[in-house]
Amino acid sequence: MNRESKRIITLFISLCAGFILLIGYLSYFQIFKAETIRENQYNKRLWIDEEEVLRGSIIDRDEEVLVYSQEKNGSIERVYKYDYLYSHIIGYSTREYGKSGLEKNFNSYLINANRNTAINEVINLINPVGVGNNLKLTIDTDLQRKSRELLRGKKGAIIAMDPKTGEILSMVSLPDYNVNSLIDNWAQISEDTNSPLINRGVQGLYTPGSTFKIVTALSSLELKDEESVFNCQGSIEIDGYIFKDFNSSGHGSIGLLEAFSKSCNTYFASLATHIGYDELKAMAESLYFNQRIPFDLDTSISRFPETQVGLTDLAASGIGQGRIGASPLNMLLITSAIANDGDMMKPYIVEKVISPQSNDVEIFTGEILTSIDDSIDLVRMQEMMREVVINGTGTNARIRNVQVAGKTGTAENASGKNHAWFVGYAPYDDPKVAVVVLLEEDGSSGGGAAAPIARDMMIYALNNIKFRR
Amino acid sequence: MGTNIGKIPIRLLFLFEILSLSLIFIYRWDNLDFNTFATGIGLVLLVYFSNSFLRKISSGDHYIFLIVSMMFSIGLIMIFRISSDLGIKQLLWLLIGIGVFFASYFLVKNIEFWDKMILVYLGTAYGLFAMTFILGARLRGAINWISIGGVSFQPAEVTKIALIFFLASYYYNIEKYSKNKYSEWIVMGIVYSYIGLLFLQRDLGTALIFFGIYTGLQYIYCNGRRYEIANLSLALLGGSLGYILFDHVKIRVLTWLNPWPYINDKGYQITQSLFAIAEGSYFGTGLGRGNPSFIPLSYNDFIFSSISEEMGVFTGIGVIMLFVLLVYRGFKIALLQNHKFYRIVAIGISLMFGLQAFIIIGGAIKVIPLTGLTLPFISYGGSSIVSSFLALGILQGASEKVVKEDETYE
Repeated sequence: MNRESKRIITLFISLCAGFILLIGYLSYFQIFKAETIRENQYNKRLWIDEEEVLRGSIIDRDEEVLVYSQEKNGSIERVYKYDYLYSHIIGYSTREYGKSGLEKNFNSYLINANRNTAINEVINLINPVGVGNNLKLTIDTDLQRKSRELLRGKKGAIIAMDPKTGEILSMVSLPDYNVNSLIDNWAQISEDTNSPLINRGVQGLYTPGSTFKIVTALSSLELKDEESVFNCQGSIEIDGYIFKDFNSSGHGSIGLLEAFSKSCNTYFASLATHIGYDELKAMAESLYFNQRIPFDLDTSISRFPETQVGLTDLAASGIGQGRIGASPLNMLLITSAIANDGDMMKPYIVEKVISPQSNDVEIFTGEILTSIDDSIDLVRMQEMMREVVINGTGTNARIRNVQVAGKTGTAENASGKNHAWFVGYAPYDDPKVAVVVLLEEDGSSGGGAAAPIARDMMIYALNNIKFRR
Repeated sequence: MGTNIGKIPIRLLFLFEILSLSLIFIYRWDNLDFNTFATGIGLVLLVYFSNSFLRKISSGDHYIFLIVSMMFSIGLIMIFRISSDLGIKQLLWLLIGIGVFFASYFLVKNIEFWDKMILVYLGTAYGLFAMTFILGARLRGAINWISIGGVSFQPAEVTKIALIFFLASYYYNIEKYSKNKYSEWIVMGIVYSYIGLLFLQRDLGTALIFFGIYTGLQYIYCNGRRYEIANLSLALLGGSLGYILFDHVKIRVLTWLNPWPYINDKGYQITQSLFAIAEGSYFGTGLGRGNPSFIPLSYNDFIFSSISEEMGVFTGIGVIMLFVLLVYRGFKIALLQNHKFYRIVAIGISLMFGLQAFIIIGGAIKVIPLTGLTLPFISYGGSSIVSSFLALGILQGASEKVVKEDETYE
């Protein structure tokens, strides 16, 4: 073969190589990238898709329908059964203002977006209006209603969960909004300075106050460094700054157990300086401070100071003041982990995704998020929390015939009005429910205002909920 | 040399047309109109008669026209689905294009002095450039369209063919021209003057095709490595200079590397194209069931993305394979042709089709930076269809035995 023909063939082969590159990239694109690209929010096809799909329903723990879609006069409308009760959990889905809550985070399930398989396409040809999957929640509507009643007239959040599985039993945040008149009142709702659109339970960050002493105590138990006898004078000076007790008369000579149950600030401020910044930070971060809690709803990250702080700030951190910010969900998870003998369960709110044909598409079950180091004497920690309710600041959470454990918090903050906190669980021997109550800028104390609400929540939950275990 | 092919390929082509036309009919069931019937029947008749006519008159290659029939059938059906008005217009352009195909076939066959008109090709090319700059209108960032009597037309489509004939005349008569020892440099200078003018018109895609045709033919026919090295260095230098000097070149590269931050402006076209291809998956959404109209120029530069969305990436790959086949037939025609001039022309035209398809498909799927070009025989557009058929007619002519001159195969 002569030079010309050889070169003609070489040129042809290089052109073919170019075309093979195109085919190879197209295949790669479809296999690895198409899925992500299709779900880009700028893809107009997603909106078109949604308007043709009968969005799935959402049902509660007892299979009561909370929201469904129906065809009316040729267009599809979304019917929310409760105006307010689920406004932060289910959220809204509007073309005008986007989506929130489960409507947002479970959108692809609700519209059954992953339906681009050959068989589904044939089904869609026959039945052009697609039907989305349904969601079954872990929420108990009665408990949800109860907690909203208990919180009425206040700002704040209440969350109840099963500490052994991570199921969220109820989650209420006030103020809330009417999801059925959201579009008409959007301007008013979105500009309200009380932020009714925020789910305070998972998105709000608050000074945790004395509830944070749980973390300080755990850190001390880990280091086996505690002051067995400490003389509480009612105030202590650390690095030129004076820390005072809530009642300034002084607790006298006390150990860790009594200091925890009486919520002695001088003891814990001093303890924190013994523990040191690095250890306290490590303990806080192992309990999901400074990292995002994986959850079905969008969460805010709890804050613990990330750079070395001075002694004064360290002491303040030890009693949950200063630059610490915690979400109620985070404090609830820490409490649940202690109740569950050290295993922090991943919280979840969607139990099942159910296809329109009533088949289970996906089932979510409890999984362990992290475990507290087993060198820590958790029985002692539990005893300390029990003591809070028996003899300490949390006696208002006491229930007849049921043993309750918990921790109060009364957190000073920039507003000048204290946040009132209570975290706790019951029954003490075999915990079934853990609760967090946060009253934002309520001006009251945790033991006085939050503990009674937590008690009512626990009574109601223990009497009414069908626990799955 | 004539290849006697059976009836099977044409029957398969009809099967495809009838199936996809029935999809079009189903899609437009509620408002079937004259246009739908006219397009459907028109397409089938056009393909049938032009293929059988060609079979009667040409002793050359019968595959290239069949391959192209498949291409324009896919294109017409897709364009009609996007807009029935454009579909009807495209059918008319195809009719004219096929007329031009036969005309150029006869011209190539019956004129013998093609290789002696090198100055005509040169003049035509510069004349067309001058016309573009004088009459040209800036359309979508490029000044490469002129409008004569209401019909807009892209002169560069014809300049491409003039370039091929210019290079063919030069390399065919290389012994005569190489008496001037600077001849190869002069040719290179002329080609780069075209490329430079195209850069000024912001027609980067066509500039790339010019470069590709020249580099390919030079590789085969030019003796002397130094010319090839000079050509590649010039291209590298020119490309870098273009990148530094022209913002429109920079934007192309930027939106190629990562279009997502510019999704609402500079990267809009390419991201919409990717959405469409992703939506189509392997088998497509089905004709009429996707949203190709979300892509800008869905019937033109991005017809490949529209096809991928509704007919699936497998059809997209099929389109690429059709171009591979067309280029293969073109090169085979060159290998079997014993007249050197027609060999060069055949390679030049095959290269032109192949490069153009590669550049626009590669751009639409983000393998290479996006440059606006039409997909030959598939995209909507009069000047693209007519000039592609003009080139195809020449290739058809080059596929026949030429006995005008006694040149033995070297």
